[in-house]
Amino acid sequence: MYGWHLKVLRVNLTTQKITQEDVDPKIARDYLGGRGWAIHYLYKEMDPMADALSPENVLIFATGPLTATPAPTGNRYMVVTKSPLTGALAHSNSGGEFPTWMKRTGFDMFIFEGKSSKPVYLFVNEDQIELRSAVHLWGKDAHETTDILKAETSAEARVACIGQAGENLALMAAIMNDKHRAAARSGVGAVMGSKNLKAVVAMGNKNPPLHDPEGMRTLSVNTSKEVGADVKKGSNMRIYGTSYVPQVTNTLGILPTRNFLQGTFEHVNNIDGDALKNQYLIRHTPCYRCPLSCGRLTEVPDGPYKGKGEGPEYETISSLGTGCGVSNLAALVKANYLCNEYGMDTITTGMTIAAAMEMYEKGYISEEIIGMPLKFGDHDAMIAMIKLMAFREGFGEDLAQGSYRLAEKYGHPEIAVTTRKQEFPGYDPRGSQGMGLLYATSNKGASHMEGDVAYEEVFGVPVKENPLTTEGKPELVKHFEDSFALMDSSGLCVFVAIRYAFNKDRMILPLRLAEMMNLSTGAQYSPEEVMIAAERVYNLERMFLIKAGSTEDTLPYRMLHEPLPDGPAKGKVVELDKMLPEFYALRGWDEKGVPTKQKLMELGLPLN
Amino acid sequence: MMIQVKLIANYREQLPPEAINGVVELDVPDGTTVYQAISRFDIPLDDTSVIVLNGLTVDMSTPLSVGDMVTAFSAIAGG
Repeated sequence: MYGWHLKVLRVNLTTQKITQEDVDPKIARDYLGGRGWAIHYLYKEMDPMADALSPENVLIFATGPLTATPAPTGNRYMVVTKSPLTGALAHSNSGGEFPTWMKRTGFDMFIFEGKSSKPVYLFVNEDQIELRSAVHLWGKDAHETTDILKAETSAEARVACIGQAGENLALMAAIMNDKHRAAARSGVGAVMGSKNLKAVVAMGNKNPPLHDPEGMRTLSVNTSKEVGADVKKGSNMRIYGTSYVPQVTNTLGILPTRNFLQGTFEHVNNIDGDALKNQYLIRHTPCYRCPLSCGRLTEVPDGPYKGKGEGPEYETISSLGTGCGVSNLAALVKANYLCNEYGMDTITTGMTIAAAMEMYEKGYISEEIIGMPLKFGDHDAMIAMIKLMAFREGFGEDLAQGSYRLAEKYGHPEIAVTTRKQEFPGYDPRGSQGMGLLYATSNKGASHMEGDVAYEEVFGVPVKENPLTTEGKPELVKHFEDSFALMDSSGLCVFVAIRYAFNKDRMILPLRLAEMMNLSTGAQYSPEEVMIAAERVYNLERMFLIKAGSTEDTLPYRMLHEPLPDGPAKGKVVELDKMLPEFYALRGWDEKGVPTKQKLMELGLPLN
Repeated sequence: MMIQVKLIANYREQLPPEAINGVVELDVPDGTTVYQAISRFDIPLDDTSVIVLNGLTVDMSTPLSVGDMVTAFSAIAGG
């Protein structure tokens, strides 16, 4: 078989038993790989009602058929599990180098079951597969852990691990790889911590054999040329990463500011991409084989926030920065470094602190409870909160539960800007209606990575849609959700796929991805077939959500009842009622958002 | 009449030195459209650019009013 190894490594952490399994070629084809394969296994193997932090939860690392191939940005992996933050499905994506190294072990997926009685890490070098003690690593941050593990295994190895936040089961804990890259959202790091699994170390030389290596090479060269031409024209991505976006969203009035109390930030020039470029940028740092190169190494050379690392990206600026009303760039960069070291999702971390700031300013939480004043804009307090959260010390015990549980505990659930208890990313949906429908219906709670229609509503890729209208948005959201399921299953990065395969012609993306996957696997997919497979994946994820007991597709109070007070979208709320029924109809779901029997049969999915 | 043009990220290279934080003030004739205002700068006027008026999606033939701000940025994968 080409493209896929069709091999799964199963690790039972309770019994310490490690087994290898073959993947049924029909399942491989029908579910594509990566995110698709993972939900097939998760749905089959675990009770969706199980406690996410119990040994009954299953944690899956999954690569796709384009991971570790010459396909441009073919270097992604997915972490799929039940989320302790949302109680729903988690699927978090990451790049860097680890995904390619993981696939070069000769396995497409690692499945972790049970719970180890003491801290361990998994070492995989092709046929040398061992669970080793991680007692000496417990308490270390993600950067220290990575350095130690490379020193004691091999400089050629690549590491995915948790920091202290994951060990302490903070619900915003991420799984970090290659130090600075994160499978960030939904608390996947806490699941890893609950299993006493500190790290996964991967190396090997088993590149998947390709069906048409020459064709793949030609396609890769051509795409890289196309990207290279764009970079020459002055690509935003290589210079700014995503840090230029605050100026865009501020212009449109959808930049989350002070816990979504506003849509514009008066100090945006202090923390935008140009400020970062002029003050702290050292150079761009691409993921393995990426022609786009959006990662950037930065350094605060001196002062109280001295440090060196990667970021911040837009989502960090809009959460720890504008979300908290913070305009001190050095402090914001430092906060990002701390999140990477402790292993934390910057979105949930930042927006939980933002919610706490609003509650403090409104008198709902006292200074005595917090241990210090916590006003919007207080960057030192923001940094202090990150530390408390990672270690669950003092008020950090409340913060570590995320903003929904925090706001509920102190009697003001309306403060939490979440869906399925997961914090919103950096697009206020009152000024981006399609994003509102996406957040409301997302199977994993609020996330732009579930189907980022901001590409059209905000960034004009491939065309600029009016973000303030609801017409056509249900179809747009469905198309993006299915397209993201396709990209996440393939092993390709959405940045390159969106930029170079999205087109006014909706079939160009599946055409190009099918072409790449056929060169890799020889599966002879048609474009129609890969889109149906993506829809299959999305619907099975929906079934997991329903069986996990979380079905209501709605938005938090602020988005439905508090109009934006400023900016171009002033006066707007999300008009969810106008979009939801049409969306359900397009999906083939009933009026409660449940896939109909007919839809499940059409997709070849189990009926129960 | 006075209007403002704001360019974002790499488009800022097209701005004159007097621009502050990516924004330049322009004196334009009455009746100037969004398209005419942005045409003064060497940026692509096709699908690879996003151009908005006061943050709103409008037709490029929309005439400007005093104090309006036209913003342009390169359409490229976002955040």
